Amino acid sequence: MGMDRREFIKSCSLVAVMGLLYGCRKLPLDEVARLGDGPTLKQFEDEVKLAVSQAKKQLDLVKVSRPGPLSIPGASPLNRFGMAIDLDLCDGCGECILACNKENNVPLVPEDDAARGRFMHWVDMRSGAPFMCAHCGKAPCERVCPTGAANHTPDGLSAMVYKRCAGSRFCGANCPVQARKFNFNDAQKLGLARKFNKEVPLRDKGVMEKCSLCLHRLQNDRLKFKTQLSVAVAAAGNVSVKNAAENATEWRGRGVTTACSDACKRRAIIFGNWLDEKSPLVQLTKDRVLYAPREIADLDPSVVFMRGRR
Amino acid sequence: MRFSGIKMPGLLKGGLFCWVVVLFVVVFSMFLADFLLEEPAVPERGMSSIPFDHAIHGDSIGLDCSACHTGARASANAYMPSMADCMDCHRLPMNDKLAEEEMQVDLSEKPWSHKRHLPDHVVFHHGVHAAAGVACADCHGTGFRQNRYGGEKFDMQSCIRCHRGETFKERGFKPAATYCAACHR
Repeated sequence: MGMDRREFIKSCSLVAVMGLLYGCRKLPLDEVARLGDGPTLKQFEDEVKLAVSQAKKQLDLVKVSRPGPLSIPGASPLNRFGMAIDLDLCDGCGECILACNKENNVPLVPEDDAARGRFMHWVDMRSGAPFMCAHCGKAPCERVCPTGAANHTPDGLSAMVYKRCAGSRFCGANCPVQARKFNFNDAQKLGLARKFNKEVPLRDKGVMEKCSLCLHRLQNDRLKFKTQLSVAVAAAGNVSVKNAAENATEWRGRGVTTACSDACKRRAIIFGNWLDEKSPLVQLTKDRVLYAPREIADLDPSVVFMRGRR
Repeated sequence: MRFSGIKMPGLLKGGLFCWVVVLFVVVFSMFLADFLLEEPAVPERGMSSIPFDHAIHGDSIGLDCSACHTGARASANAYMPSMADCMDCHRLPMNDKLAEEEMQVDLSEKPWSHKRHLPDHVVFHHGVHAAAGVACADCHGTGFRQNRYGGEKFDMQSCIRCHRGETFKERGFKPAATYCAACHR
């Protein structure tokens, strides 16, 4: 079989091109590799204990005023979700971290990352108190996102659209308090991720993540509220019931809590709606002095700390 | 292999290279078709061994979709009926032909298995759309009346068109939420 050098090289490059094209497809083998049970709960508990014992970062708290309506265009005048962490009650046990990891399927990190304190936890321990994304009203992270993956909802949440994230990490670099965590590892392939909660998707490698204020709980509650409202109005038909229903036609996220807030035995984490007078957040922060880390104090944070009484 | 009008270099006259080119063109066109056309919508038929006829169960006999798809009106999932849902009606002496005999072919608890194609980073609440006045056929078409399933194309384009108020203008739907976190998590 005669074949000169040129033909041979051309054939080789054609095979290489075909190989590349084939490589562009999503392989079914990838899906198989993602199956499996994942790590045990004990591993997650141990990692949280390690993170709490290693925590060194300190917070420099300054007084802030009560968060009000958002100034961004399209913001809801009724809802602004946020949290207040009571430093007088918190004993830094770390239960909130574990609850958050289980709620949001936060993956483990490899051992060498853990030794350096590089956890994926959405909740950190700083100055002996839980610290997470403050969902700033003037979020610096969102301004630098090149794809619009980091954006604000009308309800005051700084949301992440994981499938839009291209992994530029600009947001993480622009967050003054390092509240964002980047998936350097493919946790699913390494067997470090476990899907405790089917409501929350697992994140891929190369995607930024952070506290979502349990966005899925708010979404589910909103959809349930809207469905029940429409069904009630349609079923009632007559005007009087319709008027009664009008009173509750606006969703205020009442009754929703976050996983960390649920898990706190001392009730130091209060979740609620800053613009709703009936919200536990508004009622419990009424006579308290509010604080936020100095770096983000003028960025209108939605998650604040409270200490002492006025 | 001769190309009319063009004087080809000697290389293309070689037999082996011709075959490689032909092979490449064939394989490349297959990949191109795969990329462009994606997966064709395969009608999902034969999910159950029950010879179920949608045409004689649905609105033709005055049944609402939620009679069998129990969550269609108010739940996040529409659900496929369980055997108990079927037997609610078929236990009654409703026709001359004893339906129970027909249904002996598959008496499993859940005769229909249905895989939800919704990715887990997308929120879709079936009930809120039904409650807002969206009719079944707006999204599902009318193929089910002829027992054709799975032909619907659900993608973000169709979601966002309706949420922006671009489609179904004659129905008077109000534009719905279009911020990312309304539907994505």
